[in-house]
Amino acid sequence: MEIDYSIELPLVEGRPTLADIDRVIARPMETKPSKKYFIALGITVTMLLAGAVCLGLTLFYGIGMWGNNQPVGWGLGIVNFVFWVGIGHAGTLISAVLFLLRQKWRTGIARFAEAMTIFAVMCAGIFPLIHTGRPWLAGYLFPYPNQHGLWVNFTSPLLWDVFAVSTYLTVSFVFWYIGLIPDFATMRDRTTAKIRKTVYSIFSLGWRHSHRNWQHYEKAYMILAGFATPLVLSVHTIVSFDFAVSIMPGWHATIFPPYFVAGAIFSGFAMVVTVLVFVRKVFDLEHIITIDHLEKMNKVILATGMLVGYAYAMEFFIAWYSGQEVERFVFINRAFGPYAWAYWIMVSCNVLFPQLFWSKKVRRSVPVMMVIVILVNVGMWFERFVITVTSLHRDFLPSSWGYYKPTLVDFGILLGSFGLFFTLVLLFTRALPVVSISEIKAVVDGAQPSHHGE
Amino acid sequence: MNEPKLHSLAALFNTPDEIIHAAEKVSGTGYEKFDVHTPYPLHGMDKAMKLKPSKLGYITLAFGLSGAACALLLMYWTMSVDYPLIISGKPFFALPAFIPITFELTVLLATLSTIIAMLTFFFKFPDNANPLHDTAYMKAVSSDKYGICIYADDKMFNLTETKELLSSLHAFSVSEIYFPAEEKYPVLQPKFLIFLVIIALVTSSATYLTLNKALYVVPFDWMMKQAKLIPQSQSDTFADKYGMRKPVEGTVARNFVPYEYKDQLQQPEKPLENPLLPTKEALELGKKKFLTFCSPCHGNYAEGDSRLNGQFPNPPTLHSNKVRNWKDGNIYHVITNGQNIMPSYASQVTREERWAIIHYIRVLQKAKNASEAEVLLSKKESSSNGTK
Amino acid sequence: MEQSKFIYQRKDLPKQVELTGYALVLLGFLLGAVSYFAEPVRASMNYLIMFIYLLSIGLGSIFLVAIEYLTGADWSVQFRRISEFFASVFVILVLLVLPLLFNMNNIFNWMNKQFVETDSILKGKTSYLNSTFFIIRVAFCFCIWGLFYFLLQKNSTRQDETKEQLLTTKNIKLSAGFIPLFAITLTIAAVDWLMSLDAHWYSTIFGVYFFAGSVVASLAAVTFTAIKLKEKGYLHPAFTNEQLYSLGTLLFVFINFWAYIAFSQYMLIWYADLPEETIWFMHRWQYGWSYVSLFLILTHFVVPYAVLLSQPSKMDPKRLKFITLWILGAHLVDVFWIVMPNTTGPVISWMDFIFPFAIIGVLIVVFSYKVKRNNLIPIGDPKLQKSIKISL
Repeated sequence: MEIDYSIELPLVEGRPTLADIDRVIARPMETKPSKKYFIALGITVTMLLAGAVCLGLTLFYGIGMWGNNQPVGWGLGIVNFVFWVGIGHAGTLISAVLFLLRQKWRTGIARFAEAMTIFAVMCAGIFPLIHTGRPWLAGYLFPYPNQHGLWVNFTSPLLWDVFAVSTYLTVSFVFWYIGLIPDFATMRDRTTAKIRKTVYSIFSLGWRHSHRNWQHYEKAYMILAGFATPLVLSVHTIVSFDFAVSIMPGWHATIFPPYFVAGAIFSGFAMVVTVLVFVRKVFDLEHIITIDHLEKMNKVILATGMLVGYAYAMEFFIAWYSGQEVERFVFINRAFGPYAWAYWIMVSCNVLFPQLFWSKKVRRSVPVMMVIVILVNVGMWFERFVITVTSLHRDFLPSSWGYYKPTLVDFGILLGSFGLFFTLVLLFTRALPVVSISEIKAVVDGAQPSHHGE
Repeated sequence: MNEPKLHSLAALFNTPDEIIHAAEKVSGTGYEKFDVHTPYPLHGMDKAMKLKPSKLGYITLAFGLSGAACALLLMYWTMSVDYPLIISGKPFFALPAFIPITFELTVLLATLSTIIAMLTFFFKFPDNANPLHDTAYMKAVSSDKYGICIYADDKMFNLTETKELLSSLHAFSVSEIYFPAEEKYPVLQPKFLIFLVIIALVTSSATYLTLNKALYVVPFDWMMKQAKLIPQSQSDTFADKYGMRKPVEGTVARNFVPYEYKDQLQQPEKPLENPLLPTKEALELGKKKFLTFCSPCHGNYAEGDSRLNGQFPNPPTLHSNKVRNWKDGNIYHVITNGQNIMPSYASQVTREERWAIIHYIRVLQKAKNASEAEVLLSKKESSSNGTK
Repeated sequence: MEQSKFIYQRKDLPKQVELTGYALVLLGFLLGAVSYFAEPVRASMNYLIMFIYLLSIGLGSIFLVAIEYLTGADWSVQFRRISEFFASVFVILVLLVLPLLFNMNNIFNWMNKQFVETDSILKGKTSYLNSTFFIIRVAFCFCIWGLFYFLLQKNSTRQDETKEQLLTTKNIKLSAGFIPLFAITLTIAAVDWLMSLDAHWYSTIFGVYFFAGSVVASLAAVTFTAIKLKEKGYLHPAFTNEQLYSLGTLLFVFINFWAYIAFSQYMLIWYADLPEETIWFMHRWQYGWSYVSLFLILTHFVVPYAVLLSQPSKMDPKRLKFITLWILGAHLVDVFWIVMPNTTGPVISWMDFIFPFAIIGVLIVVFSYKVKRNNLIPIGDPKLQKSIKISL
């Protein structure tokens, strides 16, 4: 396949008109959903309800319903939390970082990715709340002057998490909403139904597509993107600090911050690819979310997968180099101890299978990439599991060693979080435009004037 | 108010090049109160409209820096001034540990301030009452056309001339936009007032429910409800429900040493021996205690001449032959058990003090009944060691 | 702006620049030799600092080239040659490493066999930290770097004449294969040359830290050179301030990245407070080293952050020239801060100022040599036209 590097590839195939774009993107919002949609929604809502039941049991009977015990005091709660926060990062990366790097190919997928971020962070936020056992007291996590005269412990990474995840949720939501304002305006001007019109009018805040407003809007968008980028890095860094500030062998490694961030991008992109493959098929968006997009994302998956592999190798080498007996043991225990099964799932799914993405054919083949990205998601869940559990279940004192088994309630809540995520995604596809209408219009061929002001 | 007032003239164009050219022409002609409407931002439009660069960045900078300052101030005050705790041996102002939260609050304040400033101050949103809404112009511009709109209150505005200018720029449609006929004051509309009431209700109930219900925790009283027995309260452990119990049979007080002749009326056959040596301290103690406890009845010099003398029965003198011939243990027996009308002084005078008192009594006895030789000896001893 | 046909003509750098370079090299090495006889340990450390500095420029430059091919970036094509030329410092490094390899006793305490016998921790590492394996690793790294550099610049140079698109494809594939090896070899170099100076200490992020510093320094070098060359008319006239913006932004981003990595390393070790880890930072806080540590934060993060924060700053050639030179100086402080606290003795000595002259000299010599023999603009690159058209 001869590539011509001197030409700019079209970002949207087929040269649609602006009115076409409106029509295609707005269609899911203006038509009744198909039977397949309801079946899918049924499945995800069932998963969600199962999770809700397990959550109710947990709240009523207490954390004893989970498998947490000595020595593994942190179990699936934190594993699921880190997993979901990681998935959220891909969205911000696609919308903010690729925006700053002026990678125009992000336009087709940015809106969707941002929505996924918000839903993933919502799923993630559930876990710190419920693992406290009394989530109704969550207000005390914030430094509000209370009648006990007590303050929160600002030096604790668990509290940094509170601030980081709250900030991340807020900023992602604001970023997403700002992007939606012009689209709400477009929807408002398209629709004739009175209730919809009122709703869109309220949410569009009266946007008039005025260029005087676009000027400030673009500046604000760039400022937000500029802040969202370090924010994304900082959030997963702070999550990694939960582990790395301790003295636990296997946890206290200085490479945790960039390692976790790379892992987050890795798992996040895998989830984005998973969802987008379905979305582009179901909503006829294959000429906007193209194979080129998917291929680029697979390249990012390969690169970040190798970063994760580098981190594994570096941890392992330094564990030997340090001469620390406990540290050396943790790594041997990971590979050959009672959790070896989890470890080898992790290594094969995160390091071995993504290597298939070296082949262009594999990168551009939808069925194969689906398998690989689902394996990546599994592998990344297991990575968090291996990190959390293997360091806790066998640390310094052999008399304290134990084995952790998550209960059905644990798994039920995990299932419920997937249910919540996919339900929100499905609802999103029908309620809001999955592709940013104004952004995609701006990058179609012929959208920009031929001579730029210089 | 019957004549609808003209708001603006709005022209629609088909291509981006046309609108850029139109914007350049309009701003070049001298119009200042005009606007361009496009479904997405066009590159180069800022320059075509002669717009000054956006000042939004300054707001971001100001609030970002305040965010950082506020975060550090908050953590300094709570962790170093108001309630300092030593955590992991770290200093009260642990700067490396404060950095993550400082960073997050900087980002939060910077982004929120930018957005709020943009929406409220720069855009003056929400603004659904703008005359351009619900016009064919807005519908076109929302979808796939580009528009330019010259406001009627611009100083150069003239209905015919401006229309001509716009048509000459190849606009495919030029329309007049009017203000809505009625003036509706947003604040007094019933919908808005209901909205305000709802907001007030929601905010107050949310605050109340969160702070007084969800977050309500009795200030740390769980140490107050303890499983132990509180004095003078009932108890379910015992059949008679009494919480206060008598000591068990045979319970002995701390430091208690039993006196084997306790409650024995007669003098013992084998009285105890005085374990104290008659040192100066012992005699001082004995004197002090004698004067406190014994002298009220037996007199200051144990002669039985206290003010109780003359009453029946007389407290006896301790200089009698009987007492002089008694062993120390016999006197101890009397002090401990009491005798006749004299009660037991065991609860008022410790065992050691009793022996000290006995030494003092011996001193008094000797003083009243010393031989000539003993007096001379004592005089000699006093002059040699300098005491009288 | 439509470009009328621009015909590129190769020009050499002015003679004075080249001569200055040679003079600095000569001065640096002569005085360096003198310092070696005065105090061999400190002089060896200074030589190591010079070597590491040049190595970081080389590694960072080759990384920039590879990343440009991999990401398919257009905007940087017109000054890619500057990075390629700086990467050729690897050839000189092969020579420069030899005195180090013969002088390892003055630098590494694990070379001292008697000392290792008494130290159980070092004894446990002798399978890795011994001179034979060390030299093998050095050779391996240089082979990888040299091979990739050679193949890459061969394709790039050939493309000037043949204008084949296939050569770009080849370089992309080469870059893709190189990056993982780059990560491994850079980490090996950082661990071997820098981390083993204090062989009890360890940090998993150290390779990433060295990488961050290298990329910052290379970006600064490339930016400075690009602006200077543009001023003197060596580059395409369509290279305007708007295209400098991307370089300024990247510089800002990597300064932040360096600070992030440095802070992570410090904070995690500070928080856990394990003596075997904190000792490295204690060495950089006691006996006057605290001033250098604070100076490093100021010069390597605070000042560049403040200067590069605003959007116009990132495009302004004057400010960029100032801050890039500043950053290059800060990188020297960084390498000095990593290496020198492993010696006992004063924080600063007269010797410390000698080898930096040699650094500047080597870079100038290498660059002017390449300018003589290669085009400064990759005129055969198919993306060149797109690169020139890029604006904000």
